[in-house]
Amino acid sequence: MNPLEEPGRTSRTIDPCVLVIFGATGDLTGRRLVPAIYQLGREGLLPSNFACVGFARRPKTDEQFRGELKEDIIAHSRTKPIDETFWQSFQEQIFYHQSDFDVDEGYQNLARRLSQLDTRHGTRGNRIFYLSVPPKYFPLIIEKLRKFNLIYDVRENEERWSRVIIEKPFGRDFASSAELQTSIQKNLHESQTYRIDHYLGKETVQNLLVFRFANSIFESIWNNKHIDHVQITVAEELGIGTRGAFFEEEGLLRDIVQNHMMQLVSLVAMEPPVNLSASAVRDEKVKVLQSIRPFTQSDFKENIIRGQYGNGYINGESVPGYRHEANVNPNSAVETYVAMRLFIDNWRWASVPFYLRGGKRLPKRATEIAITFKDAPGFLFQNYERKIDPNVLAIRIQPNEGIALKINCKIPGPSSPIQPVKMDFRYGSYFGQSPPEAYERLIWDSMIGDNTLFARSDEVASSWKILTPVLEYWSNNRSEFPNYSSGTWGPANADEMIKKDGRTWRIL
Amino acid sequence: MTTQQIVPPSQIESELLRIWDSLDKTRQMRASLFNLIVFNRLSSRTDYIRNIVQKIIDTFPCRVLFVTHDPDPSKHYLKTAVSVMASTGPSATVCDDIDIGVAGSEWERVPYIILPHLLPDLPVYLLWAEDPSQSHPLFQPLAMLSTRIIFDSESADHLMSFSQTLLSLKEQKGRDIADLNWARLDGWRNLLASTFDSKERIADLKDIQELTICYNARETEFFCHLKIQAMYLLALISSRLGWNFQSTEKKENRFCFKFDSAIKATIESSFYQDLPPGCILSMKIVTKGQSHYHFIRNPKQSNQVTVQITTHDRCSLPFQFILGKTAMGQSLVREIFLKGTSSFFLETLHQLQILDKEKIC
Repeated sequence: MNPLEEPGRTSRTIDPCVLVIFGATGDLTGRRLVPAIYQLGREGLLPSNFACVGFARRPKTDEQFRGELKEDIIAHSRTKPIDETFWQSFQEQIFYHQSDFDVDEGYQNLARRLSQLDTRHGTRGNRIFYLSVPPKYFPLIIEKLRKFNLIYDVRENEERWSRVIIEKPFGRDFASSAELQTSIQKNLHESQTYRIDHYLGKETVQNLLVFRFANSIFESIWNNKHIDHVQITVAEELGIGTRGAFFEEEGLLRDIVQNHMMQLVSLVAMEPPVNLSASAVRDEKVKVLQSIRPFTQSDFKENIIRGQYGNGYINGESVPGYRHEANVNPNSAVETYVAMRLFIDNWRWASVPFYLRGGKRLPKRATEIAITFKDAPGFLFQNYERKIDPNVLAIRIQPNEGIALKINCKIPGPSSPIQPVKMDFRYGSYFGQSPPEAYERLIWDSMIGDNTLFARSDEVASSWKILTPVLEYWSNNRSEFPNYSSGTWGPANADEMIKKDGRTWRIL
Repeated sequence: MTTQQIVPPSQIESELLRIWDSLDKTRQMRASLFNLIVFNRLSSRTDYIRNIVQKIIDTFPCRVLFVTHDPDPSKHYLKTAVSVMASTGPSATVCDDIDIGVAGSEWERVPYIILPHLLPDLPVYLLWAEDPSQSHPLFQPLAMLSTRIIFDSESADHLMSFSQTLLSLKEQKGRDIADLNWARLDGWRNLLASTFDSKERIADLKDIQELTICYNARETEFFCHLKIQAMYLLALISSRLGWNFQSTEKKENRFCFKFDSAIKATIESSFYQDLPPGCILSMKIVTKGQSHYHFIRNPKQSNQVTVQITTHDRCSLPFQFILGKTAMGQSLVREIFLKGTSSFFLETLHQLQILDKEKIC
């Protein structure tokens, strides 16, 4: 316990450390990781003793690497223009290390270099390894790191620490995920493993816990007595772009549903944790996933809909269908849209349907959780209203992060028609600044050793357990694709799925 | 209204945001109670439709998505522009205006442009200012987005086919519908309901022998189907009172309708320069028991109607009935928030199909 740190008042002190990024010349590093680290540094959130090492196969000097990172920051940082004064000093803490992932010598040299950096920058042997590489390299890299003593044993009173951040996908199904976990855990303790799902780093996702458990008016109605249904939407207007080869292997269910959407479901539906420790929060999330009713054969046919985008228009511009994208099989059966209805069989959520939909090339980029409440008894207003709109609480994850509550209101005047109106809270308007990027928060959390916002192995396994039967059914049953036009809200049978329950998808 | 900024569709929201930022500290408040999609063909009527929209936002701010289709077959374009519309009243409320101009086959893109700009959780009203009985490829996709469709029967070639189209939309496709001319009759509908409010007067209703409705025959560039409101009123009354239509006859400038039980109804016209085109000028009801109900619009105070009632044993003092604001758009504003479709409106449409067989309108 730091005697000078007042909990909740002073900033949490962060141990000195070196961050090593594997796959340092990749897209994710340039677009997300480096801008996030720059932003943390600029806002004084990095430890005073800090260094960053890029690990990749291409030969280049530290200077070349720094120059490329500067370009990335200029292009992708959320604050513009780049702070030149800060950058000049910050870049002195950035280095490049060239090696293949499977070469022992590369790791020996890395160990030597990190040791030098410890001496020069006072980083005290603390390491974070960020594996921004395809999952097939996870076991190999972790094994090598262990072999050359870059990953330490987890022991009490051990002053040094080492942590490994890995990026999704965590397997392709239940079996491969378990296999990956088995190979990782030979060399890495669960407490050292940080499985990143950047959705959990978003400010509005974190605010879900605050919103639910710090506001008694909402938590008291957060159950099947008051909630009619929940809709979770993760919509992208972009297609698969240059990720054709990747997407052909993955599909949308693996890319978005298994991780991001299941995380959102568990945060919306979880019980209050006993405290805000990582294990307490994650215990409750896992319980939700374990309570999801397994899908049946009829669910596969009627309540889980897949789609693939065809030609259409986005922002008025003509865009090609999925099968015409680069590196995509012209007869591809890969899904770019998924809609499903699921139930959580516990006391809180009994018989409340959760409708999930996610897709590429939908009309707009929007991620939202919408809680639709049960109808008010209509007898007071039924004389002149067919049906009063239900209250809807919409939590916008991105963009325009915020929360809106739809309520019914009497229109001024002697007659009393009722009109739905919205009470709208926007982070940007209220706090006068855009919230930090998810990667900023998650990298910072990994530095302070808080893995609350990272997926635990049993969360990943539970999620795969629910969805693997869907993948198996799909692999044996083809669907007619394409079945929705780019720029629309998805296939007609997704509309029919929800319509048969007497509900409709929200227009976002 | 701020100057329209022509922007590519991908920059609609960001440009609106920029305009709003530039209006910061002007004490204007951005607001929206619903989405209003307006569709019209490019013509001299476009300004008239704009004027209706302005009247709507004067009372209730909304996000306007104004689509203008240029029918010129030689043209081929798609233009989008944004601006901010302010109410003309004392309120400092202002709202978003997204304009879409389209010609040729580019219409295909319009629903795709509109869809991402609808404000969630708020109703979507479609003001379709063209004849719905003439098919237009944009109608179906825009109707699909709408909570309710408001038509303008003035744009219809024939009231009978207009009624048929609206009824099929309601009865076969479940769409909620309304019409500007029906909305304009709001005051007269209230007048009738409040006049026939006692046992004796309701008994008189059942005893009607003659009904005469007079409308204003002042034609303008935008109003040429002047009999529509009068036909609506006749259809409403005859459908509600269960009259069975028998025949129509044209006598000079009058149309005579015969119903069973020897009930006669006449639609005739007069001309008042200062009153709105097509508006109801007067209505006269005579019962078999010689009760007379005479409703006469005041030509100098167009929202006032003088009501004179005489029966075989009583002559009441005339009284004034206030129809409410008669300005364009105001009646629509009142109609717009009513949910579903008026059952009286549907009955009236059914009756119009029968009454307008001769294609009077």
